[in-house]
Amino acid sequence: MRKEATKFGFLLPGLLYLMAMAVFPLIWSLTLSLHRWKAATAAPRVFVGIENFLNIFFRDPRFWNSLRFTVLYVAIVVSVELSLGLLLAYILNERIRFRNFFRVLFLLPMAAPPIAVAFTWRMLLNPDAGIVVKILNSLGLNMVRWLTDARLTPFVLMVVDIWEWTPFMFLGLLAAMQSFPVSLYDAAQVDGASRLQIFWFITLPLLLPIMVTLVLLRAIDAFKLFELVFGITGGGPGTSTESLSYYTYTVGFQYFDLGYACALSWVFLVIVLIMANFLLKRLRKEV
Amino acid sequence: MRKLLWCVVLVVLLAVASALAAEKTWESQPGEFKGQTITVLITDPHSAVVESWKPEWEALTGAKVEMVVVPYASLYDKMMTDFITGTGAYDLICWPSTWAGDVMGGGWVLPLEDLMKEYGYPDWDDVVPAIKLIVSWGGKVYALPYDGDCHMLYYRKDALENPDYRAKFKEKYGYEYNIPPKSWEEIMDIAEFFTGWDWDNDGETEYGIAFIAQRKTQAMWSYLDIAMQYAAQPGVAPFFDPDTMEPQVNNPGWVEAMDVIQKLTKFAPPGLLSYGYSELRQAFVSGNSAIALDWGDIGILEQSPEKYGSKVKGLLGYGPLPGAMKTYDFRAKQWIEGYNQVNFLNFGGWVFSISKFSKNPVPAYKFATYFTAPERSLLDVCGVHGYTGANPWRFSHFKNIDKWIEGGWGKDSVTKYLETIQTILSDPKAITDLRIPGAAEYYDYLDLYLAEVLSGTKAPKEACDAIYAEWVKITEAHGKEKQKALYRESLGLPAE
Repeated sequence: MRKEATKFGFLLPGLLYLMAMAVFPLIWSLTLSLHRWKAATAAPRVFVGIENFLNIFFRDPRFWNSLRFTVLYVAIVVSVELSLGLLLAYILNERIRFRNFFRVLFLLPMAAPPIAVAFTWRMLLNPDAGIVVKILNSLGLNMVRWLTDARLTPFVLMVVDIWEWTPFMFLGLLAAMQSFPVSLYDAAQVDGASRLQIFWFITLPLLLPIMVTLVLLRAIDAFKLFELVFGITGGGPGTSTESLSYYTYTVGFQYFDLGYACALSWVFLVIVLIMANFLLKRLRKEV
Repeated sequence: MRKLLWCVVLVVLLAVASALAAEKTWESQPGEFKGQTITVLITDPHSAVVESWKPEWEALTGAKVEMVVVPYASLYDKMMTDFITGTGAYDLICWPSTWAGDVMGGGWVLPLEDLMKEYGYPDWDDVVPAIKLIVSWGGKVYALPYDGDCHMLYYRKDALENPDYRAKFKEKYGYEYNIPPKSWEEIMDIAEFFTGWDWDNDGETEYGIAFIAQRKTQAMWSYLDIAMQYAAQPGVAPFFDPDTMEPQVNNPGWVEAMDVIQKLTKFAPPGLLSYGYSELRQAFVSGNSAIALDWGDIGILEQSPEKYGSKVKGLLGYGPLPGAMKTYDFRAKQWIEGYNQVNFLNFGGWVFSISKFSKNPVPAYKFATYFTAPERSLLDVCGVHGYTGANPWRFSHFKNIDKWIEGGWGKDSVTKYLETIQTILSDPKAITDLRIPGAAEYYDYLDLYLAEVLSGTKAPKEACDAIYAEWVKITEAHGKEKQKALYRESLGLPAE
């Protein structure tokens, strides 16, 4: 009994911290999501039940637009980052000249704070003075409105994201490859397997467990897309790059419609949980 | 001994009495706030004003000024989060008066009458009447003025006043344009004429018109410049019907204006939709367009080739907002043919308020009155302190031309520039900006659908209808009758 009390005593500070930082905010935000609260004008909170959630699903086209964009964004960036990361990891796992230099170089984009990346790219893509635009113009691509065409701007954001987060995939996959037993490859070579056969039948199956984890982590992270939208496009042109996070931020911190913003946050959480669960089950089946 | 004691008591009593009798003044006194710190929440470029005056005020009073500079896009949420949570992290806040409904109406900032009565204010009569309006709510003063805002027209004199170009324009369009252009119909033709060729012989292609167009960077005021001409009459605000609180944003006047701004994008630089206020100003003073609409800031940047890369010093002309050849009367529900021109006090102006949670209201008040005093504020608006984002707002700002010349202006330029701004600010029928609670939200939806029109993904009528629908929802959420009463009050209309 005394031992139990001692254990509990040591756990208590951590538990209290967890309650304060995680559990209480969750409960409070769920409570708020059942209220209408226009906080900017010091209006009182009014209980409205599930009205906020009904509005989200049945009366808010902006929510569906932001969800559609976010899902498409996640699907594309994660796929491309995985493919590029795999290619880079495969090349830089080989003994080539300046291998270590390239390994460090390809990791650099991930080291910068995301908001700094966003503002830097905003300057690079400035239509009048940005160096990227000047280079593209010199190649005759000056008629392409990179940040002002609603059909193109989402893909520009994806390119920036891929530039920034491919190193994450690359690092994880390279680390995994470095841990594979060399004897497997030696045996395959002795048996006369080609490079492609070695990759397909040995490397890739061994990489699948780590790929599941990397895809899951990256998909959840990409779903929270905010900094690039905030820093580069403000959700525009129009609402073509308004992610679900950014829309929730706008409702919560521009309109101060806190009840509705909390409801959006809970919908966001549920979507991410469903996505994580689906991905885990589906990808682990492949493994 | 007893006599000595009585003398000491008498001296002490006299000292106390004279201290009590000393007149309190808005002028800061040496060592007055020693050891105290005030925190100012502000955005660029207005932080330049605080940066300019902070060192000498700190040296004079012994106080310390901490500045928290945030981007414009984050200013509202930083400020409101502090208010709603009651954190009181900021003493003095620089904010746009168009948010008055939320900030003043929400009771988040101190009314200043008591402080003004106790310490006085540096020459209240010197403040232009339009600016006195924007610092008040419900008949009380809640902010200190610091900036006078209105949009104006800028045009390249070397383009529009070039006799060859004028002759070619007349040949093509069959008429001679006014200088400055007087209507949006003229602007459309002029913008088209000056698009796609090198009319200033600098080796680069130029364009007809530029304006703020990027989402979440004040683009809606570019649209409102046009909407005021087609949807408003002098002295009659067009946002809502003041009798029913029905939004007017999808009536034919507003739709026409949306159509005009969509057409104008064809004659703007390719990067137009990336033009926030910084990008527009930089682009225009770099010489890429013939016409621009902006607050007085382009005029300041124009004067400094070394500091701001201006290539157009002395080449800019100034004028009021162009009007329109017809306007929609929302009460009569019909178009009125004939020339109509409306001055609009876009944005209202930046102001300084003291948070109701501030523990240092007196030093905060005295710091603000220090740099908004007539002689000091002149240095901020005329360019002597560089680009601060502050535009003239006192009568004395328009009189002291010498300081403007010291700020880098040419005499002819500054005379015309000040004449234009003073005409707009002094217009008794100039329309004030929307100032009811939820203004930030109303304008964000206007901005959102405007962005879709500008990017070509929505038709003007469809966008205006969408804005209307959102404005109805916002009005209902805030309480229709309450909003109507506040809207009528903001227009100076009697309560129903």
